[in-house]
Amino acid sequence: MKNILNQKSLLALIAAMVISFSCQDQLDVKNPNEPTIESLNSENGIVNFAQGSVYLNGFVDLKYVDGVLGRFLGNGYHDLWADVVGAEAANVFMNQIGAPFNVILDDDSEVPNPGSPRSQAELIKNNNVNANAGNNPLFYDWAYMYSLNNVCNVILNSVESVEFVSDADTKRNVLKAWAHWWKAFAYSRIGSVYVAGVINDEPNVTNGNYVTNAQILDEANRQLDLLEDILETQTNTPVYTEFLGRLIPDFFQQGKGNPLSPDEWKRNINTLRARILLANKRVEDMTNADWNQIITFTTNGIQEGDNVFTVRSNSTGDIISANTGTIATKSTGDPNGEATYKISERLVSDFRAGDQRFDNNFIELDEPWIGESARGNSFNTRWQLVDGGNGIDDVIVYGDKTPGATETYVSVTYEENLLMRAEANIYLGNINAGLQLIDEVRDYQGAGLAALDGSGLSQNQAVEELRSERRVALLFRYVSFYDARRYGILDPLSEGGGRTGAIVIDRDGNLNINATIDYQFMDYFHVPDNELKYNPPVSGSAPVVNSKFM
Amino acid sequence: MPQAPTASLDQALVGKVAGAQISSVSGDPGAQVQILLRGINTIQRGTTPMILVDGVQMGPTALNTLDLASVESVEIVQGAAAATIYGAQGANGVIQVITKKGKPGKVQIDFSTSIATNEFLNVGNLRKADMHAFATDANNNVVTSGGVPITLDNTDLTWSGGIVYNALDPNSNANKPYGANFKYYDHFDQFFATAKTTNNLLRLSGGKEKFDFSVSVSNNRQEAAVKNGGYVDRSNFTSNLGFEITKGLTLRSITQLAYTKNTVNHYIYGVFNSRPFVNFDEKDVDGDYGANYGGAGGVNGYNPNYFNQYTDDLVRTIDVIQSFDVTYKFPKFVEINSKFGLNYQNRERIFTILNQTENNNNQAVAYYWAGNFVDDETGEIDNYRTETSFRNSVTKATINFDLEKDFNLSLPIKTSTLVLFDFRKNVENRYTTYAQGLPTYTPYTPANANNFRVVQGTDFTGRIPFVTYGYLVNQRVEYGDLFGFSAGFRTDYSSAFGEGSKPFTFPRGDAFFRFSGLSFWDDSGISNSILDLKIRAAYGEAGIQPFAFDRYVTLPAGTVGGSSIFKAPVTSANSGLNVEVSKETEVGLDVVINALDNTAWLNNITLSATYWDRSSDDVIYEVDAAPSTGVGNIKTNAFGLASNGFQFSLSTKAYHSDDFTWNLTTNFGKATSEITSVKGDGEIVVLSAAGSTNYVLRAGEKVGQLYGYKILTRVDEINPLTGQPFIPANEQGNYTVASNGYVVERATKQPYFTADLFSFGDPNPNFNMSFINDFTYKDWLSFGFQLDVVSGNRLYNQTKEWMYRDGIHSDYNNPITIDGETGNWTAFYRGAYAQRAFNGTKDYFYEDASFWRLRNVNVAVDFAKLFKLKGFRQLQLAFTGRNIWTKTNYSGLDPEISSGSLNSAWDRGTDHNTMPNLKTYQIGLNIGL
Repeated sequence: MKNILNQKSLLALIAAMVISFSCQDQLDVKNPNEPTIESLNSENGIVNFAQGSVYLNGFVDLKYVDGVLGRFLGNGYHDLWADVVGAEAANVFMNQIGAPFNVILDDDSEVPNPGSPRSQAELIKNNNVNANAGNNPLFYDWAYMYSLNNVCNVILNSVESVEFVSDADTKRNVLKAWAHWWKAFAYSRIGSVYVAGVINDEPNVTNGNYVTNAQILDEANRQLDLLEDILETQTNTPVYTEFLGRLIPDFFQQGKGNPLSPDEWKRNINTLRARILLANKRVEDMTNADWNQIITFTTNGIQEGDNVFTVRSNSTGDIISANTGTIATKSTGDPNGEATYKISERLVSDFRAGDQRFDNNFIELDEPWIGESARGNSFNTRWQLVDGGNGIDDVIVYGDKTPGATETYVSVTYEENLLMRAEANIYLGNINAGLQLIDEVRDYQGAGLAALDGSGLSQNQAVEELRSERRVALLFRYVSFYDARRYGILDPLSEGGGRTGAIVIDRDGNLNINATIDYQFMDYFHVPDNELKYNPPVSGSAPVVNSKFM
Repeated sequence: MPQAPTASLDQALVGKVAGAQISSVSGDPGAQVQILLRGINTIQRGTTPMILVDGVQMGPTALNTLDLASVESVEIVQGAAAATIYGAQGANGVIQVITKKGKPGKVQIDFSTSIATNEFLNVGNLRKADMHAFATDANNNVVTSGGVPITLDNTDLTWSGGIVYNALDPNSNANKPYGANFKYYDHFDQFFATAKTTNNLLRLSGGKEKFDFSVSVSNNRQEAAVKNGGYVDRSNFTSNLGFEITKGLTLRSITQLAYTKNTVNHYIYGVFNSRPFVNFDEKDVDGDYGANYGGAGGVNGYNPNYFNQYTDDLVRTIDVIQSFDVTYKFPKFVEINSKFGLNYQNRERIFTILNQTENNNNQAVAYYWAGNFVDDETGEIDNYRTETSFRNSVTKATINFDLEKDFNLSLPIKTSTLVLFDFRKNVENRYTTYAQGLPTYTPYTPANANNFRVVQGTDFTGRIPFVTYGYLVNQRVEYGDLFGFSAGFRTDYSSAFGEGSKPFTFPRGDAFFRFSGLSFWDDSGISNSILDLKIRAAYGEAGIQPFAFDRYVTLPAGTVGGSSIFKAPVTSANSGLNVEVSKETEVGLDVVINALDNTAWLNNITLSATYWDRSSDDVIYEVDAAPSTGVGNIKTNAFGLASNGFQFSLSTKAYHSDDFTWNLTTNFGKATSEITSVKGDGEIVVLSAAGSTNYVLRAGEKVGQLYGYKILTRVDEINPLTGQPFIPANEQGNYTVASNGYVVERATKQPYFTADLFSFGDPNPNFNMSFINDFTYKDWLSFGFQLDVVSGNRLYNQTKEWMYRDGIHSDYNNPITIDGETGNWTAFYRGAYAQRAFNGTKDYFYEDASFWRLRNVNVAVDFAKLFKLKGFRQLQLAFTGRNIWTKTNYSGLDPEISSGSLNSAWDRGTDHNTMPNLKTYQIGLNIGL
């Protein structure tokens, strides 16, 4: 009998085990940690996404990242191409990609780029291959901006079905405005850097119809038009302001980073329109009509005190790291180690003597820093950008590693607006009006320089003041490459490009004051191969490579 | 199982399994061995096999956590046909560990103790150049650009200036000795150290009629063979209790507890990548180390002592493996067995980085050890907690009929029907925090930090449940010992597919035919020399599950400042994802031969040979999406894979006499795996965990193939892609072949690398082979050795390439003749690093890493037997040597290293600053009472 009992209890045990484990609902685990796309249908959900995705997908997260090169705002390629900074680290070719083709020293000796291949175009051609994955320099701007474009597509795609708690029309409009602005920003960057792009309004998919960069810039302007139409319907109501404030990280909302009123935003639009035009035409190709267009845009552009789009660090590095989040902070400190990007002698030489902005931000090293000569020697330097400045009151500080201290301008600024208007005036012959605007910028930033107003400079002299002032006033504001391109500095020396009378510290530490630098850099870049491999161009597409450099 | 000084089971398996590639890829204490049992069947789940302990699957616990001394035996199941039986994740094969049981009789007491010394291997004589090419003055002082000898300031450990070194200058010659202001320091001597390993074990075992027991406690402690490199200390408790409750009903309870403390923490990349004149033992006026004395020490130079002073790593792991096994044998036909296992692991890692703001060197050069989560020098305490519970239950009924015995039929047929249900549930809870901004006073707790955060993202914080269950039906029929076959299927449900999803069903079958079972065999007398001859074949399919959330599309959430945020995932899940399916066919031959009948030599030669062929479909990988979609990559059933191989195991009593026996086992395996298809016929780029080397997966090519720039050995070499010479005919005059056999540009002395990328060829070894010899003399002396051979193995020497960067590698002292001019031309070596792409993937650094390794040598004398001591079952003194001899042409530390992630499917062939294996001498005492 005992035996039977045991058999029964055993069988019951086994049966219980089988039954207890075989319920299908055990399989219903889903992902208990993260919300799904359906959560975008609520007001809080779409707000959370509109903030997080724009700043993190747009500027931080990518499938390939390199901490030394930096994320979107810390990536120094534009400033390497513009000879604002140099780099010694080899990550994603940052050391090679800004090495000039040739340098002629004061004694007429030539120092060709010791890198291999010697020309930037060849280097880029060889490495614009999918197999290079994250080691393809062309990947980054493209991928960040399309990532930004896509999250805006998701916002626009979701916004109609959101159930808002109240004031649905205003909130919906603010979200649409937000998405159109960042789409415009993304297209303006793509069109200003690459030879072609795709226009894509659908979430998470794309198309193989590549269009020219001019068409991409048209699309940027179209997005700005759509945005402007929305803002026309808005007034600066508490609902509008409060809701826009929920899309901008709270620690950005200081200085110039508070929610923009509809009018401020419209002025940002005009300044960006001016930049799109200016950045993508060589100065010699600018017509009077173009310059007048710039005058119109900038007259209606950003005013002193207007809020703009900014980014700041915080101590937990939620968006960017205080130490390494921007080109400014990555260029700060001793070039012997701390500074990833080394300050170029050609940046320093663009400061006028006595400029307080220089005195407040730079110190001279005891001995020139001589980088690894195998990486080219044009970037050796005597200068160091000082963390937090040298303490001169009311003078701009470029880089401060204290969390939250540096206001980084992602897009257009008041100074850029003034300098574009100045440039248009100078080229239209209103030279003194242009010089007055340069003075305004210098005063605004605390340069402490003598006024140019009434100095009677020639047009060429005024252009040179303007060019160097843009280098100084708009330093680390992501326009240096465009300027180098439109002034022809990137072109081969033989075609009138390059830089003469340049300061160069050669590899033996000697100071050259009349060197010539022949950069021979590309003006617009090929579409990255990672895109082409997974999204080949359909027939009738615009060329996806810049044939000038193939 | 042999003694392995690490007392870890996985180390003991190296070389023991015919056909498998089991490699000891790192010499760090606690490092696991890399296991590839048979072919590459999946990309994302790697090659990790399923581990069963006494029939129950183990979840989070690693194989090397088990106490080797409590293991009775290990069985390896390689084929899918067999693995199908074990469940939905059996495609990579199964390692079955059987725990020691007590034997009926007197209580036995076993005590063992051993101590070992370990030293890092440097079989390729890796070292730093002891001559340099820096600018010097007349007294051989290394000088700055201003011509001033460089000095080290001991207030903040910074040099007075930078060196002048033009590595690409065609006249730069690394022929100047150190010895003036810059001395040569042997960093390997400074940082590698002799390490100690100890093992202790106590076991009690015994049994009576209805009860058996074996209970043991053991401890293993291994130090890292690096100065202040930490240690691993593991304690195990194992008990195996068996009861017969009533006739036919048995219960067994097996418990394993392990507590492991791991403090291994070192920075050997800094050892390899600092120029040899840096004296890292220097301390500043405050007694602190400096991180970096200035750029002169090498671009990636970094003081490992600084790392040690300011960081601390502590991992504490508690592992519990408990299983119950209930068996009831009905008087006839039916046996029911139910197993229930729980594997629980609690792992906590605390990584501390001290506040470095008061370090003078940090203040001077702003070099610091940054936190994992925040990039500054104020210090951080990172706390990673993972709690995992894995439950596995298996209930099976076996119904056996013997037609002859049970039904008195004259047919010698036996049938066996197996019906099995199994259930698996794994729940992993991750919780990761960091406290940032530590005080400069001591002591303190994380509560005194400036910021405290719970780290966002499921990789750090979240709950990951995964459930599968399924059943198996299998029917076996055997006709005497002449032939037999079985067929069955298993059906699985998985939580990766959610509630209401359809199950997956996989068939299996096998058959054998024994020629030696035919009656003519005995009649003809063949049986005198060929004792047994059997052929066998099997076919099976097994599923490989997606990861828990691969099919659930979500939005990562977090916080920015004071707001909650969502963002788009970089890697997108895919709700259309399917299970991966692996299929295998194998055929084999088992034969037992008496080669020299009636002699002492070569009795019982047992040969077991197998040819297998596998394929996997719908293999999952994160495939790149076009960036303009805004999606980074997307989980996709992207690949088809195929692999095949041949293996044999040959064992024999090579010699035996009354007093002396020699057993020899030879294991051989040859296997290759390739990609048969890629979705959309594209290519998939995968990144190596070992850094700069990219792998590309393309249809028709081998898994793990590398692509890179090729160096030329002939000036007029033809580019196979274009049919034209690599170097245009009119430029060939600018190039010549240097004395080392490579094409160089005459003017620059730099080597020429192709502009295009080329495949470097099949990365799979040609074969793996082991010879295992055991000799015994009488019953008191035993001697044995194991020799492992890996042939055709190749390794990308990334360690060397990094050491080429700053002129650190000793190759810089190898003279080269170019156009009759001989010198230690730095331009050549620097060019090898810098041409085409700095640190690019180049065949120059791709080396043959074939090797012969004397894995194990052991001698043991049992004094109890020798002197017939009363009261002792055993009193054995044992000497063991491990890795004491290696023959290879590889120029790095150790040809067995692999720096990719463990058990990766593709990332198996890069040597990137990994701790090499150790040469070990051990002495042990084993006492049995």
